[in-house]
Amino acid sequence: MAASGSQPLLAVRDLVKVYPDGTVALNGVSLDFMAGEVHVLLGENGAGKTTLARIIYGEIRPTSGEVIYEGRRVLFRGPWEAIRAGIRMIYQHFSLVGGFTVADNIALYGSRLGLSRREALEAARRLAEEYGFRIPFDARVSDLPAGIQQRVEIVKALLVEPRVLILDEPTSLVSPLDVEALFRVIRGLREKGVAILYITHKLREVGVIGDRVTVMRRGRVVATLPAKKATVDQLARLMIGERRLPEEPRIAAAGAAGERGAALRVENLRVVREGFEAVRGVSLEVRPGEILGVTGVAGNGQDELVEAIVGVLPVAGGRITLLGRDVTREPTWVRYRLGLAYLPGSRKLSLVQEMNALENLALGLLGAGKLRGPFIDWGWVAKLLVKYVEELGVVMHSPYAPVKHLSGGNQQKLALARILAVEPRVLVAVDPTHGLDIATTRIVHSILAEMRSRGMAILLVSSDLDEVLQLSDRVAVMNSGRIVSIKKPHEYTLEELGRLMGGAA
Amino acid sequence: MIGLIISLLVVATRSSVPLILASVGEVVTEKAGIVNIGIEGFMLLAGVVAAVVDYATGSPLLGLLAGAGVGFILGLIHGAASAKLKANQIVLGIGINILAFGIGVAVLNHVWGNPGQSAPLPTIPPIRIDGYFTTPMFLAAIAIALAAHYIMTRTTLGLEISACGEDPHSAEALGVKVETLQTLVTAVAGILHGLAGAYLVVDYIGQFTRDITAGRGFIALAIVVLSNWNTILALAASYLLGLAEATALNLQAILGVPALSDLLNTLPYIAALVAITIYGVKARAPAWLGRPYIKE
Repeated sequence: MAASGSQPLLAVRDLVKVYPDGTVALNGVSLDFMAGEVHVLLGENGAGKTTLARIIYGEIRPTSGEVIYEGRRVLFRGPWEAIRAGIRMIYQHFSLVGGFTVADNIALYGSRLGLSRREALEAARRLAEEYGFRIPFDARVSDLPAGIQQRVEIVKALLVEPRVLILDEPTSLVSPLDVEALFRVIRGLREKGVAILYITHKLREVGVIGDRVTVMRRGRVVATLPAKKATVDQLARLMIGERRLPEEPRIAAAGAAGERGAALRVENLRVVREGFEAVRGVSLEVRPGEILGVTGVAGNGQDELVEAIVGVLPVAGGRITLLGRDVTREPTWVRYRLGLAYLPGSRKLSLVQEMNALENLALGLLGAGKLRGPFIDWGWVAKLLVKYVEELGVVMHSPYAPVKHLSGGNQQKLALARILAVEPRVLVAVDPTHGLDIATTRIVHSILAEMRSRGMAILLVSSDLDEVLQLSDRVAVMNSGRIVSIKKPHEYTLEELGRLMGGAA
Repeated sequence: MIGLIISLLVVATRSSVPLILASVGEVVTEKAGIVNIGIEGFMLLAGVVAAVVDYATGSPLLGLLAGAGVGFILGLIHGAASAKLKANQIVLGIGINILAFGIGVAVLNHVWGNPGQSAPLPTIPPIRIDGYFTTPMFLAAIAIALAAHYIMTRTTLGLEISACGEDPHSAEALGVKVETLQTLVTAVAGILHGLAGAYLVVDYIGQFTRDITAGRGFIALAIVVLSNWNTILALAASYLLGLAEATALNLQAILGVPALSDLLNTLPYIAALVAITIYGVKARAPAWLGRPYIKE
């Protein structure tokens, strides 16, 4: 239900935000948000969506411009003032205190709204029941999967019914089933007349949940249009602007590689982490020149599978064969020297943030046994760096600057450049495009496709369904520590995938 | 034998007081995310000021009060430097320890003309129960530990303090004034450290010596880990280590071999080391402990 043409509940006028380092995050943004309307803010990373939300929420101050709420000009001194005024925000990375139990988090938040512990918990239980959320109130938050944490966030935000709800990329960390539950909640709140500000970079979500959509690019509003009428192509063009998108890599014909033996073979693998059997008898094969995609809801054993293959976690049962050699009991460095490479899901793990690009490359070469000590031939390392940095188009001012100053996309390209330089035969890649913008995502996808065509065997573990379906020759779905299905991508339907991931099939 | 055990248990009520006060204070400080390894220095400075006040006024209670005041001021300094100025908390603590030792010796020289020890001082009258002597400070220390436990587990203030140590960014987003709260918590805990130091002088020992704290501040830090940041367990562990100290003292008296006494004195420290090695593994520190919280 879109609101009638009355006064907006919330509005921003000519907002400008310049960060201390000179970045112009917002460059004169004016928008209206109506009660009972889902207003989608669409844009790539760095478009200014989150900055806008944080200004409304009182977390940061605008350089100039104003926020008008309920007809009055407001300037919240901090989120708690916004919270008391009836505005709530659900962050992409949740704002729960990880070391606290769910109940403590609810009680702390409730206390800011003037609720006693008992009142807050009662309200939370009522909400959980209303939405059909099963929430373990006595569990420690850091032990809970992202989907449950999000439900806690939702319940927390709704303890006292808000007038404005801001959601920042709420679907980036959770499963399709959790997304369905979230959308039900959003629709219910819209019926009750809450103004909803929904931030996303996912084009497909716009028509599903939005009433109006505003596309932002580089700190400016590009267009505002009715969400149901906007096509995905139209939105993509608005979002990206005049830049040309890199071509999506075509799915290679599978089967050509199938004749040769497996480069990586896992047989009946079992992995126990902290007393919990996270991987329960997984078998799979990746052949040279093949991408095997593994997907599933986060926390169903994918991490443990990867860490066991890499050698970080000990194996409780089963066998891992790398290029014909049994490496089940071999330490990580032996596997790397045999030709295994690992691209972790977090770039904080893949690159040493405080060290520069040259040093990071040298560390990778050293791990793979390609760099012999004790003296380092920096000239050779630099030559390799230049070669691959040029090939992949990594933008960096200096090879001597700490990599933490590079953007996420450039860091990921650098990590991939290092993998190319190391020339592994088997690559385990986890969420390779998490947090990257569309253009960089496509570049990363083409790099992975190129690696495959060079004969690398790639195990792609990702919670991004589109990515897995697009790149993989075969797709495996994990649930509760088991692989519940392996098929070619086109043999799945989306509904089937949702059921398999949710453990309902 | 029974008599010996009872007497050890009673002596432990006196030797455990500084450990209880210091460790309970540090549990709360660390829950708020601030680590204070300068407890030893807090105790020493509070002790020397308590000695001077006690000496000048003849009132051990005023000495105790002065010690608490010194602890508060030092806590305010440590808290503000850590929370607001983002100083390195370890270096800060070491600095306070070194400074305190120097000031202690200087005051001893100046007031009593002796770099090692002061004159004997008036002490707080003990409580006598059935021929055994204990101190009212033991009851006060237990009351403080219980109160701290109640605040940390049953009040929103406790929840806010813990949130500062676990995730200051989230806490700030909820309107908790992280830096101010951390500073105040460190200052209030400083009162407890100050009381611990003053108690040694105006009650337990009855004079100030330059090494009067004898590592108790560091033992308190070990107890914090041992207790897994729980004030009740810190109370219990403090009493047990106080018992180890009492046992060491008694063994010296019974064996009467002076050469052994230094070795026996290490008993509480060895007990702390063994305990922390065995139980410290399971301990889970506040996630943001000792890390400067820097806002964007």
